[in-house]
Amino acid sequence: MATRPNAATPSLELDWGSVALALGGVLLLYYLAPVVSLFLAVPPGDVLTRLSDPTVVDAATTSLLSASATTVVSTAFGLPLAYWLARTEGLRARLVLAVVVLPLVLPPTVGGIVLLTVFGPGAPVGAAADAAGVPLTRSFAGVVLAQTFVASPFVVVTAKAAFEGVDRRLEHASRSLGKSRWATARRVTLPLAGPGILAGVTLAFARAMGEFGATMMVAYYPRTMPVQIWVAFQALGLDSAYPVAILLVVVAVGALAVLDVVASNPWGRET
Amino acid sequence: MRLDVSGLRKAYAGFEFGPVDLTVDDEVLAVLGPSGSGKTTLLSLVAGIAVPDAGSVTLGGRELVGRPPEQRRVGLVFQEGALFPHMTARKNVAYAADDDDRVADLAELLELDDALDRRPAALSGGERQRVALARTLAADPDALLLDEPLSSLDAPIRTRLRDDLHDLFASLDVPVVCVTHDRRTATALGARLAVVRDGGVEQVGEPSAVIDRPATEFVARFTGTENLLAGTVTRRDGDGVRVRVADLSLRATASVEPGTAVTVCVHPSRVELDAPDAADPSDAPDAGESNAVVGTVVRWLNEGSEYRVEVELDDGSLGLTAAVRPPTFDRLAVDAGSELRVVIPPESIHLLADDTPASMDPSA
Repeated sequence: MATRPNAATPSLELDWGSVALALGGVLLLYYLAPVVSLFLAVPPGDVLTRLSDPTVVDAATTSLLSASATTVVSTAFGLPLAYWLARTEGLRARLVLAVVVLPLVLPPTVGGIVLLTVFGPGAPVGAAADAAGVPLTRSFAGVVLAQTFVASPFVVVTAKAAFEGVDRRLEHASRSLGKSRWATARRVTLPLAGPGILAGVTLAFARAMGEFGATMMVAYYPRTMPVQIWVAFQALGLDSAYPVAILLVVVAVGALAVLDVVASNPWGRET
Repeated sequence: MRLDVSGLRKAYAGFEFGPVDLTVDDEVLAVLGPSGSGKTTLLSLVAGIAVPDAGSVTLGGRELVGRPPEQRRVGLVFQEGALFPHMTARKNVAYAADDDDRVADLAELLELDDALDRRPAALSGGERQRVALARTLAADPDALLLDEPLSSLDAPIRTRLRDDLHDLFASLDVPVVCVTHDRRTATALGARLAVVRDGGVEQVGEPSAVIDRPATEFVARFTGTENLLAGTVTRRDGDGVRVRVADLSLRATASVEPGTAVTVCVHPSRVELDAPDAADPSDAPDAGESNAVVGTVVRWLNEGSEYRVEVELDDGSLGLTAAVRPPTFDRLAVDAGSELRVVIPPESIHLLADDTPASMDPSA
């Protein structure tokens, strides 16, 4: 069907390449135009002034700190699980993977609700933490809990794929050369899976930065950037939501850059 | 040091390994078998990569089962090397070496100097195998295991590395187990040969003994004895017996009770061809003292170093394959249809009594 265009034989048949280009082009335009338009909506000087607004600075600080904490927690808890999943076959591994993927398919607000049933002030765990002076809702800890629920699966799923890409025989070779499990992980497995793991970590960070639904339910305060956007939009209208939105776009582009340069982009071409 | 494998067993879905018993002293044991016969499983169990269901592996009297791979001092050279792709050849070798001198010594021993600063992806197949071997030797293993060390290589490199391995193994004072599916590699490298099939050992012995006196039909075929003829021992004849194969009576220097149904095994390289008038070939059913008969060439194949010539004996009731070296082939001007004198030396005939169990594996 994909016949090459041939000027000598006029044909009414649509050229496949042109159709694909046209359809894809429309979609690309649909992605890019609004983002560019956001940057054009506010004069750059204005953005900078409004970014120095204390509420914006607070939101940015909360977001950066909480997303960083979430990334560390997700990586610490997620990597061993990812390794286990990569090296285990059968029903058990499939069930565990399904549990890991659940937060990815669950609507974030529902994620927030299920978290509240455990960590909410009325729930035993939440009440106990409250009594101990570490409230798990409306607190920095609450933000991290919400973000970790939603973002950590990215670490597990992406790192699992990275570990799977490491030939088991390399680990066996290392161990039969007299190196322990830890030495093998440090010198063989992690260096080889590194770019993939970094991709998972970056995705988790980006997802944590953008987390809104679950965070809204669990920790409206302290405000993260996405929550701040919503608050500003509700209270003062679209215009006042722009600066934080621009900041989040910049963070997202930064994450993309990391994915493409240092990490192995999970959606990129195999090299 | 002695590597002792006894009662080793491992069940996988659809594959049963063992029980296998093998003993290897400071020598090279070549394990020969088709793919799926359990060769790699054997190495994995000895190296500690797989955990056996039962049995024991001792090295110098030390029980290995239950120990992790890193505490076994068993070196395993993986098929195609399994080199660490993110390290240069030098770093690969240095991975388990105590110091740089050791790396330098091994690089010299295995002629790696040109390869040292390249990564595995930039190495040739032969270089990769040499680096893998150097890396394994750098850890000073008490036993050396090799999984198909030559199978991924092109013919000229394979022959060279095989010769080098032969010399290297001779200089090592540890048990060496080399598994392969290639009988030439096995007989060239192994001081002893173990033929495996379906997870069990069929026969162990010196290569020439296994090839000349295979214990089973499978061993005969897998070590290159293509001529397997059904026969019956008719009577004793001097220091041997007479075997009836189709309408031929062959003399064999073997000791089998008359009346026994046997499989007559003759390796193609033991079948001699000569010009029809070289002597007076007997056309009678009794092929005489020297087993010389007239045969007609059916077809021939040039295998490079030798010709395989298929001949029909006894008016076509019997087919036989002979391996002939080129000078003989040329001298006889072999071609389809030509008549030749076919000699099967009595001492080259091995008789397998048909009641021989199909396998010497105790579990079978």
